[in-house]
Amino acid sequence: MPFPSSVAAPQRERRTLSGLMSAAIFLAAGLLSMPSVAQQKTLDTAFGPVAVKADPQRVITLDEGALDTALALDVQPVGSVAARGGTDLPAYLQPHAKGVTIVGATREPNLEAILSQRPDLILAPPGLEKRVYDILSKIAPTIVSSVPATAPWQERNALYAAALDKEDEFKARLAEVDARIASLRDRVEPGQSFSVVRWNPQGPMIMSSQLITGQILTALGLKSTDIAAKLGERPHSDILSLENLGAVDADWLFMATLNAQGEATLASARQQPAFTRLNAVRNERAVPVDGQVWSSGTGILAAEHILDDIERTLVK
Amino acid sequence: MSKGGARSSLRRTTAICAVMVALLMLASMLFGAGSITPLDSWHALLGRGSEESIFIVHELRWPRTILAIVVGIALGAAGTIMQAATRNPLAEPGLLGVSAGSSFAVVLAIYYGADAVGVHFGIAILGALAGCFLVLLTTQMRGAGTDPVRLVLAGAAFSSILMAVTTLILLHDQRTADEIRFWVIGALGGRPSSYLQWAFPGLIAGLAMVGATAAALAALSLGEKVAMGLGHRPVFTRVLAMTGVAVLVGTATATAGPIAFAGLIVPYFARRLVGPDVRRALPVALLIGPLILLLADILSRLAVRPYELPIGVVTACIGAPVLIAVVRSHRLPRL
Repeated sequence: MPFPSSVAAPQRERRTLSGLMSAAIFLAAGLLSMPSVAQQKTLDTAFGPVAVKADPQRVITLDEGALDTALALDVQPVGSVAARGGTDLPAYLQPHAKGVTIVGATREPNLEAILSQRPDLILAPPGLEKRVYDILSKIAPTIVSSVPATAPWQERNALYAAALDKEDEFKARLAEVDARIASLRDRVEPGQSFSVVRWNPQGPMIMSSQLITGQILTALGLKSTDIAAKLGERPHSDILSLENLGAVDADWLFMATLNAQGEATLASARQQPAFTRLNAVRNERAVPVDGQVWSSGTGILAAEHILDDIERTLVK
Repeated sequence: MSKGGARSSLRRTTAICAVMVALLMLASMLFGAGSITPLDSWHALLGRGSEESIFIVHELRWPRTILAIVVGIALGAAGTIMQAATRNPLAEPGLLGVSAGSSFAVVLAIYYGADAVGVHFGIAILGALAGCFLVLLTTQMRGAGTDPVRLVLAGAAFSSILMAVTTLILLHDQRTADEIRFWVIGALGGRPSSYLQWAFPGLIAGLAMVGATAAALAALSLGEKVAMGLGHRPVFTRVLAMTGVAVLVGTATATAGPIAFAGLIVPYFARRLVGPDVRRALPVALLIGPLILLLADILSRLAVRPYELPIGVVTACIGAPVLIAVVRSHRLPRL
């Protein structure tokens, strides 16, 4: 490589090094994309159109909805992020998953761990930082949904299904869920109100009624409390003052807790007089539910889990 | 100022502070995040009005008002005595890592399965004792002990280490995460009423200890030799004072979680009102403590209605400017 004579030796060395490095990266990227001679299709993502190859083999999911969707469609990702606040996959997905490596947390994917899995497709959550996207998209085609968490959950996960090249299967599974909702709807007393909260001793955080849980309960003919419906695009509220606890009172109060902690949380909440005054509590209709599904899950498997819970509690 | 004048100004300051505490207690009963108006609250206070408003005023606001007073007295006295014992105007249980030691001890106890309220109080006091012991050791170190800012830096380092270990525990075991969050956020609302019966003995024991050392600490401020000449024992005095501080801080932390800066704000205002003599500052601090805590708690309820802020956010907003003012003042008061 000819350099102008004015370039000092150390600078030249650095240029050579960086040249070598980028050559190595291109080579690596080339090797990774070698088998992609198969047909391609282009998807509209939050960062513009992205070309993905048909039938991806090594998928990494950085989003719980994407993991749920992949597992529901019989795709075993090679890597996924851990559940929020945990070190493993969400408990409700663990029975479906085999040999999925943990590659960091939702807010902090481990780029080295992702690279070492040599993925050919990365499914990333809405709101992914541009900085992280730029790196990920060099590793493999990266699909970022542009649909917010409060949009219909089917829409949110349809893009992931399309990227997995399983649109037809996705539609078929959705139709099953819809059919189940339709049959349950006749067995649930219509017009009852519901509220989904995460309990803290200082007061609860209200989950938006526009998350998957609220969407399903609404589809079943129940209605949300006003305060949860007014949260807009925010997935949950701040800590509600105990003085306003009446705002979350409803015919059914679902308390999203960490796994296997439900009864303990309910017992500790019962020590709070403001809680025991709620009609839902007096009528024994405060129900502990798995927060990994009810407050942070989304997807077909989450929907089925929620419908199981509803069938167990609401159907007489 | 003549001695008689000083005494009457102390009496007048005490009276004014007492009236303000009474007014803020009333305000604490009348204002809240709830939808009931102050007028409804007034009626409820007198036992009239809807069942809802009576519940809110008597069952929710009254306990947290009492808690604010108990925690305010504990932190105000702890801060004042700590500053006198370390002769450092920046000494504060939150800044020096005593509160962090206390809440970390509870986090550790919860992690190992302790869930009795009394155990939490005992362990919080033990953690605070460990923190106080470290502070005393640091003040004996050449260089660090005589420089107020260095002592605070040592405390910040200690707090960061404890915070890192707490985070590790949370990562390791998410089962305890919810319970621990309860301890690491300072708040007065939603604390079970059983806490009060544990808080009172701790408060009284701690106050008795620090009260007994006030005269000796005042003599110590004249120098160790003078104090020894007057018949005081410097080491015994410091150890007893810091043990009292630990009991007070442990009690406050077990009751309401760590509340930063309260121990810094209270002695700052007390000194401005009645001068640096700890025998005069301590009684005033016992009133300014509840005053600050009541005010901060009322603000925490009103700032984001119908939701609530943790009280630590409000005390930090008041306390940070005080910290800057103390550090920036051209002459750090010598204690």
